[in-house]
Amino acid sequence: MNLILSDNPLNGLKRKENVHFIDLSALKIANCIGCFGCWTKTPGRCVIRDDAVKVYPLIAKSDHIIYVSRVKYGGYDTIMKTMLERSIPIQQAFIRLHHNETHHVQRDVAPKKATIIAYGDIDKGEKEIFRQLIARNAYNMNFQSYSVVFTEQDALVKTVENEVKKWNV
Amino acid sequence: MERVMILNGSPRAPKSNSKRYAEIFTENCRIQTEYFNITKTNHESLCAKMKDVSNVLFVFPLYADGLPVTLLSFLKFLEENPPETRPVISILVNCGFIEYQQNHTALKMMQLFCSKNGYTFGSALEIGSGEAILSTPFKWLVKRKIKKLATSIIEKKYRIYGVTMPISKNMFIRASTQYWINYAKKNGVTKEEMASMKIE
Ligand SMILES: Cc1cc2nc3c(=O)[nH]c(=O)nc-3n(C[C@H](O)[C@H](O)[C@H](O)COP(=O)(O)O)c2cc1C
Repeated sequence: MNLILSDNPLNGLKRKENVHFIDLSALKIANCIGCFGCWTKTPGRCVIRDDAVKVYPLIAKSDHIIYVSRVKYGGYDTIMKTMLERSIPIQQAFIRLHHNETHHVQRDVAPKKATIIAYGDIDKGEKEIFRQLIARNAYNMNFQSYSVVFTEQDALVKTVENEVKKWNV
Repeated sequence: MERVMILNGSPRAPKSNSKRYAEIFTENCRIQTEYFNITKTNHESLCAKMKDVSNVLFVFPLYADGLPVTLLSFLKFLEENPPETRPVISILVNCGFIEYQQNHTALKMMQLFCSKNGYTFGSALEIGSGEAILSTPFKWLVKRKIKKLATSIIEKKYRIYGVTMPISKNMFIRASTQYWINYAKKNGVTKEEMASMKIE
């Protein structure tokens, strides 16, 4: 599966039949409440039954994925971060060694070629923190390979289209 | 006034590990502390209180390698509603994995928030194996570090501390597997069910 997960509508984006597009800002997604129900009560299912439960199965299935997010304090801004926190049902409670660090065992999650398109007014130091974040995410979110692309909001649609082209799908 | 305002940024603050870490901080801090959970509705009153304190300590869990949304939302509000006099900001962050270094990106994010908004960043304590360490014989190691954290804040000798269980990673994995099996057992869920590969 090929997926674009965006924190804004990306108006004007050329749509492709085999590329699934999700605008998170149009969905109703509550904060994770840290209850660990998805690991210990209903494994693989979040107890909060809102729109997030339609999104994390698609993240799990995708082998090509683009995350589009505004950057805040060197991390994802609220919309994307909320979705990522709600995505822990796709992992198990159990921990394994991965790159010589402890990380969770993944459920049925496809290894990913990920592109993170980060936008906003981001200076050099903030970019560095964001890159470190993505390097950490790569271990926890099953990235096989990834690239980080910084851009301005005005150039987002074009940037996303460019990255999709590279998939050759 | 010389006081530490402790703000809990865990989304499950009333029942959180962060709350227990905050309690240990209070027990080991020579100056007065005031504790609050960050909720969706109290941002304004917390920001208003901040002008009266010399120090703020954020206690929070690592969530998806970064700041939990509960804390992020509060910081964004604080950015728009800063107190007239800025307290020194310190942090106590805990994560589930054994490597306390996995908290480092979150620490950098908090330092960035401070430098962008004119706050002095004080001290930090990064805790690994934070979900379980307080229920193990290693609790005293945490207490010792929290005491150092408190002293460094009061004496303005700011430092970055880290602590975790002093066991091998493989031993940690075995212990955590047992921890989660027991956790789920209380809900009547078996190890096999927990290990389901199915999503939704
Ligand atoms: C949505 C979510 C995301 C988490 N992400 C991480 C993580 O990236 N790394 C980690 O080591 N622990 C992670 N944890 C584990 C928590 O940091 C750990 O359980 C912590 O002790 C919770 O603290 P609290 O009780 O104060 O909220 C995560 C937990 C949840 C619920």
